[in-house]
Amino acid sequence: MLLELNNIFKWVSQGGSRVFLLKDINLQAEEGEFISIMGPSGSGKSTLLNVIGMLDGFQEGEYNFLNKSVHAMKEKNRSKLYKEYIGFVFQAYHLIDELTVYENIETPLLYKNVKSAERKALVADMLDRFNIVGKKDLFPSQLSGGQQQLVGIARALIAKPKLILADEPTGNLNSKQSEEIMQLFKELNKEGVTIIQATHSEANAAYGTRTLHLLDGSRNHI
Amino acid sequence: MFRNYLKIALRSLWKDRTFTALNIIGLTAAFGVAFLLSMYALFELSYDRFHEKIGSIYEVYTNEQTSKGVESSESNPIPFAGALKEEVPGVEKITRYVTGAPLLTYNGKTFRVGSSWADPAFFEIFSFPIAEGDAVNPITDKNSIALTSTIATAIFGKEPALGKSITIQRGGEEVPVTVTAIVEKIPAASSINFGAILNIKNLPNEFYKDNLDRWDSHNHTVFLKLAPGTSPAQFEKSTKEFSSLHFADEIASAKRDGAQPNADGNYRQIKLLPIEDQSFITIKNGLLTVSKTLQYIVLGIAFLILFIASVNFINMSLAKSAQRLREIGMRKTLGAGKLQLFFQFWGESILVFVSALILGVFLAFVLLKPFQALFDTKASFVAISNPSIIISAILCILLITLTAGGYPALIMSRLGTLQALKGKLDVSRKNRLRNVLMVVQFSIAIILISGTLVLWQQLDFLRNKDLGFNKEQVIAFPLNTKQDHGKVIQLLRNEFSRNPDVLNVTAADNILGLGRDGSNMRSVLGFDYKDREVSTNMLWVDFDYPETLDIELLKGRTFNRNYKADSLSVLINEAMAKELGEENPLGARLLLADSIQYNVIGVVKDFNFEELNKGVEPITLFMDGNSPMRYAYVKVAPKNLSKTYEAIKGVWNKIEPDTEFLGSFLDENIDRTLMKERTMTTMISSGSILAIILSCIGLFAISLLVVSQRQKEIGIRKVVGANVSTITVLLTKDFLKLVGIAFLIATPIAWYATSQWLQNYVYRIDLNVWIFLAAGTIALIIAVFTISFRTVQAALKNPVDSLKTE
Repeated sequence: MLLELNNIFKWVSQGGSRVFLLKDINLQAEEGEFISIMGPSGSGKSTLLNVIGMLDGFQEGEYNFLNKSVHAMKEKNRSKLYKEYIGFVFQAYHLIDELTVYENIETPLLYKNVKSAERKALVADMLDRFNIVGKKDLFPSQLSGGQQQLVGIARALIAKPKLILADEPTGNLNSKQSEEIMQLFKELNKEGVTIIQATHSEANAAYGTRTLHLLDGSRNHI
Repeated sequence: MFRNYLKIALRSLWKDRTFTALNIIGLTAAFGVAFLLSMYALFELSYDRFHEKIGSIYEVYTNEQTSKGVESSESNPIPFAGALKEEVPGVEKITRYVTGAPLLTYNGKTFRVGSSWADPAFFEIFSFPIAEGDAVNPITDKNSIALTSTIATAIFGKEPALGKSITIQRGGEEVPVTVTAIVEKIPAASSINFGAILNIKNLPNEFYKDNLDRWDSHNHTVFLKLAPGTSPAQFEKSTKEFSSLHFADEIASAKRDGAQPNADGNYRQIKLLPIEDQSFITIKNGLLTVSKTLQYIVLGIAFLILFIASVNFINMSLAKSAQRLREIGMRKTLGAGKLQLFFQFWGESILVFVSALILGVFLAFVLLKPFQALFDTKASFVAISNPSIIISAILCILLITLTAGGYPALIMSRLGTLQALKGKLDVSRKNRLRNVLMVVQFSIAIILISGTLVLWQQLDFLRNKDLGFNKEQVIAFPLNTKQDHGKVIQLLRNEFSRNPDVLNVTAADNILGLGRDGSNMRSVLGFDYKDREVSTNMLWVDFDYPETLDIELLKGRTFNRNYKADSLSVLINEAMAKELGEENPLGARLLLADSIQYNVIGVVKDFNFEELNKGVEPITLFMDGNSPMRYAYVKVAPKNLSKTYEAIKGVWNKIEPDTEFLGSFLDENIDRTLMKERTMTTMISSGSILAIILSCIGLFAISLLVVSQRQKEIGIRKVVGANVSTITVLLTKDFLKLVGIAFLIATPIAWYATSQWLQNYVYRIDLNVWIFLAAGTIALIIAVFTISFRTVQAALKNPVDSLKTE
């Protein structure tokens, strides 16, 4: 078992009453799964991904990641955990504008204190694999959206995470680019990486091994 | 990692070139000016601190109770020092000290050298190292002289000076003296300064020998070193007996005139002034006080300027952080810790600070020469470079970098990951800090502007004040001559009688204001008049003194060549008439100390013969020739002033070809006495100009950001029908509120500070509200102007453009 969510509740107080963002969510993911989370805007897809990614907390429930209880952890250990095992891919790519493609991909390794020679090798492998060696010295603003997302995925993968969380990874892309990206996810999944993606599109959801539907913060069916 | 940080720092600084440039320019100017100002202040504060025995060296002065209150006196009678050492325990070494400017002659060449006379113990008290010759007691012998290396080179050139005989002119006779030692160059920060130093016994008889047993003739300063274990307060207490024994007569007459004893029941109290406070003496209401206000004000301005620049930095960094939120969030999801983020942003700050610091030091070096000339100071990096100052400067800079650079870094590193990623920020809290800082900034600027305006007005007031004599048309010059003064004056009169532009010529033994020779003196005499002690300043003049200077005669007549007895006649001023208590002082007979009677023949209107921070004291004008005429005064016609000046210079050079002509108009002399005020005005006004420029840089940057953050709002407002002016007002209003609050805070402070400062002046302007309103308005106008650069542009922009960016 990679991760397990039990009866997760998350709410905000608004004018004395609770507005639920997540309501009684239960989810279990095995290693090697490719899960799509679907639902309309505001249904809590992103919130759920953020909770899974440990960027966001919740008020009630249990969250176990690799048999460790995340809800009982301190912030420091939590960040250690996600640094080690989780990679993020965002709709808006979130590349650092001031860094080149090469440097963007390299950054997670810097925060993991990987040695220089090893960093070089790892980044070179990644550039090679994504066919962007020729673009390594360009800045994000010089790339197309699809290329930027490619770099975003490369950056998420560089630290060899067990789990990739993708929040509408193709939301800003055209259909051709988006198909390429989804194909890439499928390949990565075959290589053993667990992927959880949030998406609007039925077509994209179809790439996954199972789909989770969310409606107003609660799962209605699988 | 480090390289990555450096890279991103440089890139993000480059990306926001405008901000980086504004920051670096502001900080550079602030550092440069703060360096110069603090250098000046620290140099001034370091005066006389180089003596090794500092802490036990004191100047002796006396607080005398008089019928008019307490008066401090720094001069002492000749037998005073010896008796004090004998009779009061605790004096380890003591020396008398006199200064003057005698003529030294060697090989037919004559030099006027600023010199001192002292007891041999002088060199044991003070640390003036001897370079060559008798290192222990160079001035033990009556006919020995010690020269500083500078003067020795000037007189002897490359010849060895030791053992050479030179002549010194004193009291009309020439005496040979032998060079016994060469003193190393005197440190710049020394208030005791001399080119040559001699034994006090070398002084003319009427100064020294005739006064050996006289306790009523005060003519020199006394310095002493206390024995270890003696505290100054304890010493002052133990001089009670001494004072009542030796000054019994003075105490008796003080009692007779109705003086009140001090808190300890004494009429005379000997006091000790630490030598390191020597250069900060001011006489306030007759009492000697030590005031380091100017130095601390200057240090304060340096600090305020740095503060303003740091505030700019903090404000710009905080405002800019909004644009970097995404990067912060992204780095956090990639695993960056708080500490790593803190160091990254702090590193960027340090980068900016260090470059500004380097540029600032460079700027200070470039500006050092003009700065020294402008403020007439010897302050330099070398003069203040001692370990403790350097260490505290480094600490100070570190502290500034830590707080100004660290604060925004701390705020940014603390942001929540998700919040940052979404690019949302709790805006209100941050703006409050920004607003507070901006209010403080503008308050400082307004205080400095009001200070500048008040100083300007006061200085202008003093410059243009009617001093009771004609200062625009009178040229005065020192009669530096070995010839008989009377003869020289006669020669001058003859020469000038041929020049129609010269209206009148006279002479006196003292200068008005401060001449180019930089010397000034004061003679005060106390005597009994109708069984009451009165005191008067004394001035010896030549014929036509009131006429030449346009001093108005109120009663009687002035000196006249036709009256043979006029050598025993005196003129007095109104203040003196009051001092005498005579309704009609004409014909009053003054019986001075040496039992000669002087007749009052006229009363002149009060004129300011002393510095302008003092009122007009009683003065008596003599013409008995007891004091040599040291200055000539020439009244010239109002036109062709510079031509007449040249003509007078020509005449002087004809009479005395070897001595430089040091003439100047009296208004220049008055200006010279206002040196302190001018220094202060220049410093505060340059400080306030810089402060306002820096505040505007900050304001400009903030307005840039606010406009860019509100671009969408501006676009929407325009779409729904707002016009350019309402939008400009909308954007400007918030800032103007801040300036308004700053004005309300600053005005009372400025009012209090300036009115306190004006208390130092007898002649002062009245503070009025307009000065402060003007300061506020200046700040407001500059602020509006600065902001409108950007706001108007934003308001004019086509809304479609600003909405499209979303």
